[in-house]
Amino acid sequence: MVTRFLYVRLLRSLIVFLTILLIVFILPRAMPGNPASILANEYQLPSSTVKVLIEMWKLDRPWHEQLIAYFQTLFTGQWGFSYKYYPRTVYELVMERLPWTLLLLGTSSVTVFLTGVGLGVIAGWRRNTKVDSIITFSAVLIYAVPYYWLALLFQYVFGYLLKWFPITQALTPGMIYRNVFEYVADVLWHLTLPVIAMTLTAFASYTLVTRNSLVDILSEDFILALKAMGLPDRTIMRHALRNALLPPVTMLAIRLGTIVGGAVLTETVFSYPGIGYLIYESILYKDYPVLNAAFFMLSITIIVANLCADLLYMLLDPRIRYTRG
Amino acid sequence: MGLVKSIANAVKYIALHNKKGLFGIVILLFVGSIAILADKLAPYDPYAIVAPPFQPPSPEHPLGTNDIGQDILSEVIYGARVSLYVGLTAASISTILGLVVGLIAGYFGGYVDEAISGIIDIMLAIPSLPLIIILAAYLGPSLNNIILVLVIFGWVGVARVIRSQTLSIRERTYVEASKAVGSSSFGIIFRHILPSVAPVAVAYVILGATSAILTEASLSFLGLGDPTAKSWGQILYHAQARNALYLGLWLWVFVPGLFIALVGAGFTLLGMAIEDYVNPKLRYA
Repeated sequence: MVTRFLYVRLLRSLIVFLTILLIVFILPRAMPGNPASILANEYQLPSSTVKVLIEMWKLDRPWHEQLIAYFQTLFTGQWGFSYKYYPRTVYELVMERLPWTLLLLGTSSVTVFLTGVGLGVIAGWRRNTKVDSIITFSAVLIYAVPYYWLALLFQYVFGYLLKWFPITQALTPGMIYRNVFEYVADVLWHLTLPVIAMTLTAFASYTLVTRNSLVDILSEDFILALKAMGLPDRTIMRHALRNALLPPVTMLAIRLGTIVGGAVLTETVFSYPGIGYLIYESILYKDYPVLNAAFFMLSITIIVANLCADLLYMLLDPRIRYTRG
Repeated sequence: MGLVKSIANAVKYIALHNKKGLFGIVILLFVGSIAILADKLAPYDPYAIVAPPFQPPSPEHPLGTNDIGQDILSEVIYGARVSLYVGLTAASISTILGLVVGLIAGYFGGYVDEAISGIIDIMLAIPSLPLIIILAAYLGPSLNNIILVLVIFGWVGVARVIRSQTLSIRERTYVEASKAVGSSSFGIIFRHILPSVAPVAVAYVILGATSAILTEASLSFLGLGDPTAKSWGQILYHAQARNALYLGLWLWVFVPGLFIALVGAGFTLLGMAIEDYVNPKLRYA
């Protein structure tokens, strides 16, 4: 039933989420020393500050009290202060960056999916022709191109040499917008290069999967039957696609993490003010509260997006509504 | 040994019948020989300061020199060693681990299988790159830590495929016959199941190497790599940190990245060819 499928998926997402949080809880505590002494070393903190930190994280208490305190602070948004941007709170920083990452992720997930599936459909429909082998072969070649490398080169060619697009940031600094359209145009202008770089380096696996799944479906009996009925190509394609799209949608759900990973790297290259760039900065400055919080928000984003992909899958495949998840 | 012979057969078959696979083999042979002959091919010691910093390309230094005056071409050549070492080591350990876990889950079934499959499902749903980044940040920069982190996420995909293969082989009559004459579980797994799933495992070492090399490069690029090991990702990190592109040293960025992409494509092409050879139906399961 629908509800059962949903419950199973929800439960799985919840377990995944808790696992991630537990890893981030255990990791700094399993390291030699404890989080407070690591910080003390890093920033030459006086012993009074260390005492406050130990008190705050309850590091002198048994581990289950520490765990409760950890969850309490995490879910109430009391993430403390950033070391690098000191007077600012971690919560403020993360919430300010989140919309940019969602924008970049949302846009590039759509373009990656559409480009990948579109090329896959063309290759699959014209299977074993020259078009097919050109698309498949270039997909394999581009599959291993590192995101940030292509992003760097794009930045250099289209931003620096040709000056078509801005090299860094998400908005033109110091710009005053006369109306909403100017603002949107500026945002999109800054978004173009990162999205193109991400699309080009991430679409390949969708192309390969879609192509193979379409080729499989097209060799099935019901397609032969449709052809025998004399239906036009367009109709046959519609029937084939409905089945062939399932694997790429599953893949979108599984590999969203990969796109997020790409966003971290792309944001770093473009100094795009999102969560990914924040993670990079917090690694650079050993800003652990920011690192943990940014990672926490990123995990939530991915898990919510995963659930959306599951819902899409359910819409596409009626069989799932009547069988157990 | 049987395994070596069957690998040789597979390579021969791929070289003769699969153009993409052959292309992959050629790429890997090329980069592999650069790695093996690094000390003969490299014009300089990649750690030695041989010229003023930020030199543009010249006959003495075809790719120029980096921010502390090391020869970039020599760095790239030695980088082949580091990147291939990380890729192959991480992929091999992951595959062995995934093989063992998959065999256990598939052969014993029941609660053991359910527990392992549950863990596999959860691991597959975890966003790996962000978690890998945070793990590497906490563990500290060293080549072995990076391999460890890659293995933590690398075994999962292998275990899933090996498990489903083992499940189907377990039901074959020759396995039942072997049980009937009183062979131990251990003996059956080793004598009858392992040989059938080994080729798939080999394909996974090859495919896993691609993602291991790419991930190592990404971590190094973020500044989480081993600063003492000159991998291609590490070279890119320094190039980016010093704004190489805007100093006119675009080869400093272009060449290491090209090598990453090239090796990645080589491993992917060969891995896909091996999968095709072993089991054409399995590729995108």
